[in-house]
Amino acid sequence: MKPLFQTNIRTALTAFLLILAPALVANGQDSRIQMAGLDHLAAKASQTVDVNLDERLMRIAAKVLSDKDEDERDVKKLIAGLKGIYVKSFEFDTEGQYAAADVETIRTQLRAPGWSRLVNVTSRKQGMLEVYLLFNGEQVGGLAVLHTDDKELTVVNIVGPVDLDKLAKLEGQLGVPELGIESPKNKTKNDDEK
Amino acid sequence: MNDDYLWDKTGQPDPQIQQLEEILGTLRYQPKPLAIPDDLRVPQRRNYLPLLAIAASVLLAIVAGGIWLRGRSRSEAPKIQAKVESPTPKPDVTPVLPEKKSAVNPPPVVAHNRRRNRSASSAVENKEALMAKEQLMLALRVTTQKLHLVHTKTSPANQIKNQHRVG
Repeated sequence: MKPLFQTNIRTALTAFLLILAPALVANGQDSRIQMAGLDHLAAKASQTVDVNLDERLMRIAAKVLSDKDEDERDVKKLIAGLKGIYVKSFEFDTEGQYAAADVETIRTQLRAPGWSRLVNVTSRKQGMLEVYLLFNGEQVGGLAVLHTDDKELTVVNIVGPVDLDKLAKLEGQLGVPELGIESPKNKTKNDDEK
Repeated sequence: MNDDYLWDKTGQPDPQIQQLEEILGTLRYQPKPLAIPDDLRVPQRRNYLPLLAIAASVLLAIVAGGIWLRGRSRSEAPKIQAKVESPTPKPDVTPVLPEKKSAVNPPPVVAHNRRRNRSASSAVENKEALMAKEQLMLALRVTTQKLHLVHTKTSPANQIKNQHRVG
């Protein structure tokens, strides 16, 4: 017969794990990238863009987005299922203001299971551009864009199911030209047509 | 006299010993099931230890979860306005707090004060919403700009151009 103390400890541990397991699983699937490690670069940067929009703020923002305006309506649709948008962008006057370790803190997180690098563009003029997607099964659970240049470091992180169709619809509407983004589904369709 | 009878029951027994055996033999152990009387009441003592252990672990989990959530919300405190540091100076957009307003111009009636507070808080909420919207548009602008850059770099026309340069 096992001692009573041992049985109780086992029961308590099982109960504790059962309670914590869902929270741990939920946390593990979060596509949020921690960017706080880059904050020290703001002091060196000539221009800094720091956007931290969580679900609550996006809900608030959605309230003031007009349904009459087509652009705002599209933005509203895009952010409907999102849990957060986070941007950190630093522009420097001179080269070598950030270290490779700074970029590595982001890249390490993007090597976690679920994330896959969709695009990796390296050019002499515009540095390195990487686009990552987090897949939860077949669904996109998050998007990350990492742009590193001699005088620039930008990280974009969209948390939640990003609808690439809706994002593509925003092209040219926010002061940037057409992007030509296609969702994987549409792309295959177009390929089939060809 | 032989003492073997006392040790292993062999040999000639002593009559006195035999007599003693007969007297004490009535008290010999006789196998029979334990009979518990029906009227016997045993006080039931419940073991609350497992329940207490579970309750303690649940409490511990709640406390730990609370501390974790608090720490997380503090570290990820949402910034109301996008921080864009540029050479051009920005106009001061510090919201006028309702407390300041009432201190400058105290209302005579409580109902008026409440209404004013309500409208002031809705104004603050509206301002927060507008700031969040600005932040959202800025974030989407940066995102689309970067994606546009990716697109131009990966477009076939750009690749052909690069091939010509190499050629």
